[in-house]
Amino acid sequence: MKNVIERIMNLLAFLLTAGRPVTAEEIRDTVAGYDRDNDEAFHRMFERDKDLLRNMGIPLELVYTDAWEVEQGYLVDPTQYELPDIELTDEERAALWLASQVVRLGGEPTGHGALLKLGGAPLSGAGEPLAANLGLAADALETIFLAISERRALTFTYRDRDRHVHPYGLRHQRGHWYVVGQQQPGGEVRAYRVDRGSGFRAGDAGEVFQRPADFSIRDALPSAPWESGSEDIKAVVRFDAPVAWWAQRQLSAGAVIEEEPDGSLVAELSVANPDALIGWLLTFAHQAELLAPPELRQRLIDTVRTVPE
Amino acid sequence: MSRTAARLTRILSMIPYVIANPGVTVDEVCDRFGYTRNQLLSDLDLVFVCGLPGYGPGELMVAYVEDDEVVVDMAEYFSRPLRLNPAEGLGLLAAGMALVSAGQAPPALERAVTKLSAILLPDTQDALTVELGAAPQIVDLLRRAARDGSVVDLVYTSLAADATTVRSVEPWTVFSSMGNWYLGGYCRRAEDERVFRVDRIRSASVSDATFEPPQSPPAPEVRYTPSPDDVQADIRLGPNARWVADYYPVEVLDENGLIRFSASDASVIARLLLRLGSDADVVAGTEVSSVLAAMRSAIMARYN
Repeated sequence: MKNVIERIMNLLAFLLTAGRPVTAEEIRDTVAGYDRDNDEAFHRMFERDKDLLRNMGIPLELVYTDAWEVEQGYLVDPTQYELPDIELTDEERAALWLASQVVRLGGEPTGHGALLKLGGAPLSGAGEPLAANLGLAADALETIFLAISERRALTFTYRDRDRHVHPYGLRHQRGHWYVVGQQQPGGEVRAYRVDRGSGFRAGDAGEVFQRPADFSIRDALPSAPWESGSEDIKAVVRFDAPVAWWAQRQLSAGAVIEEEPDGSLVAELSVANPDALIGWLLTFAHQAELLAPPELRQRLIDTVRTVPE
Repeated sequence: MSRTAARLTRILSMIPYVIANPGVTVDEVCDRFGYTRNQLLSDLDLVFVCGLPGYGPGELMVAYVEDDEVVVDMAEYFSRPLRLNPAEGLGLLAAGMALVSAGQAPPALERAVTKLSAILLPDTQDALTVELGAAPQIVDLLRRAARDGSVVDLVYTSLAADATTVRSVEPWTVFSSMGNWYLGGYCRRAEDERVFRVDRIRSASVSDATFEPPQSPPAPEVRYTPSPDDVQADIRLGPNARWVADYYPVEVLDENGLIRFSASDASVIARLLLRLGSDADVVAGTEVSSVLAAMRSAIMARYN
C-alpha cells in the first residue's frame, strides 16, 4: 500500500502543477513509481490509479493536448480539485459528523472521509441512541445527486421503459426517495420513485438544462390524499372514546377540541382538502363521525357507498 | 472507499490543515484526524519521499515532527483540501437534513447544513430535501432515557391487535424508518427484544429503574418480511389510487394497477380500501373483503 500511495501522490502532484494536459506516456516517463519497461504492467497500474483518484472525488479529465485534436492527455484543474471555502466551526463539523453516524443512507457510511476533507474535528458522540434509516443502496442516489448538482441528463429504466430525464430535484419523503424531473424531449415534469428505477446513469456533459425558476419539488410529487389544498372549510367531527387519544395525537394545533363526558372528542377543524379529511376519518371506520357541514357528510357517505362489494 | 483511498484522503486532508496552522502539535493533529501518533508519523514519512519530478531535495515535500510540532513544507499544490465526491456530499447533507426536519438537530447542525448546501448545490434551492416528518415529542423523552440507561413505562396500543398494554421497556434506540418513528429495546413484560411504533405509545414515563444497555444492540430496523400468518389481498387500483403502490410496501403485479397487499391484520387493508372508495377493487382476498363489508355496514349504520 505504501508504494501505491507514494506513486499516486507523485502523480497527483505532477498533474496539479503541470498546468496542461499530459499524456499517459509522459506520465510513465516522468512520475516516480511507474514501470517504464513493461507496457502492460504500466497500463494496468495506471488504470487502477485513475479509478482510485476519481473515486476520491478528484476531477481527472481526459482532453486533447492541442488544437489539432491528435493526442489526448490528463488534466486536473486545481480550481476543480479544491474544496470551496465553507468555513465551518469545529462545533458544526462535529454536529455533521454525529448526524452522519446517526443517519444511514444504505451502503457504508461516508461521513468519515468527508469530515476529514472538511478539516476534521475532535470527534466524540459514540453511543447516541438515535438512528434514522433513509433506506436504499446509495449508488443510484449518488448518480442522481451528481446529475442534479451539475445539471446533467439522467437516464434510467422505470416500469420497463427507458427514461431520459432532466433531473430537477431529489426528495426523501414518507420513507421513500423520489427524483423529480422533466421527461425528454420536452415532456411533463413528474416524480419517479428511485427504488422502482434501475440502471441510473448521468450524462457526461454538465449544464445541459435550466431548472424553471418557480420549480418546487413539493408540488411536483404525486398527490397523496393528505396533502394540503386550496379550500377553506370548517368541519366538525366526533371521535369515540376508544380512539380519542389517537385522533388527538394526529390533529393539528389549530383544531378546537372539546372532550365530552363519555370520553369522546368533538373537534372543529379547518379543512383545505376535503377528500384528505374524509380519507383520514375513514381510517377510524365507524368510530368517527363527520357531523358538519352536511355536504361533506354526504360526500363521506357517498365514498363509502361506492366501495365495491 | 478502499483502504488506500481512505488513507490518501486522510493525508490530503491533514496536509492543508498543518500548512494553515503552523505550530500545530502532534496531539492536535491526531485528535482532529483520528490518527494514532504512530500512524501520523508513518504518513509524514511517506509525504517526505513524495513530490515533483526530479525528486531531489528541491522537489520533494518536507514533513516531520520537531519539538512535538508537525511541520509540512514545499507542498503548495496540496495546500487546499480536496472537494467532496457526490457520495460524501449527499451523505452529509441528507443526514443533516434528516435530523433538521425531525426537529432533532442542534443549531450547529442547522448552520452546517445551510453552509454545505450553499457550496454543493449553489443556485438550486430545494434540489435536495429530506423530510423525516417531525418527531413526536415523546422521542426526546425516550432518547434521554436511552442515553441515561433508565427504564421507561409505556402505555402501548398495538396497531394490528387494537389492544392496549402497559409495559416496562429498556430503551436502546429511537429510530426513524420508512417514514415512522420506532423504539427498539428490551420489553420486560414480553421478556424479549421488541420494536414499538412511537406514535402508538399513548404515554411514557421514566422510572427509577436502570439497566445496562447491551454492548452491541441489534441494528435499528423494521423488517417487512412477510410472515406466513399475513393476510393478503390482490387489489386493482384505479388511476386516482395509483399512489398507493408508491406509498405502501406492496407487490406490483401488473402495469394496470394490480397490486398485492400483505398485512398482519385484514383491518389494515380494509381501512385503506374504505378511503379509496370506487378507486379500488378487491380482486382476490376473501378475509379482507368480509372485514371491509363489515366496516362498510357499521359506518352506514352510524350515518343513517
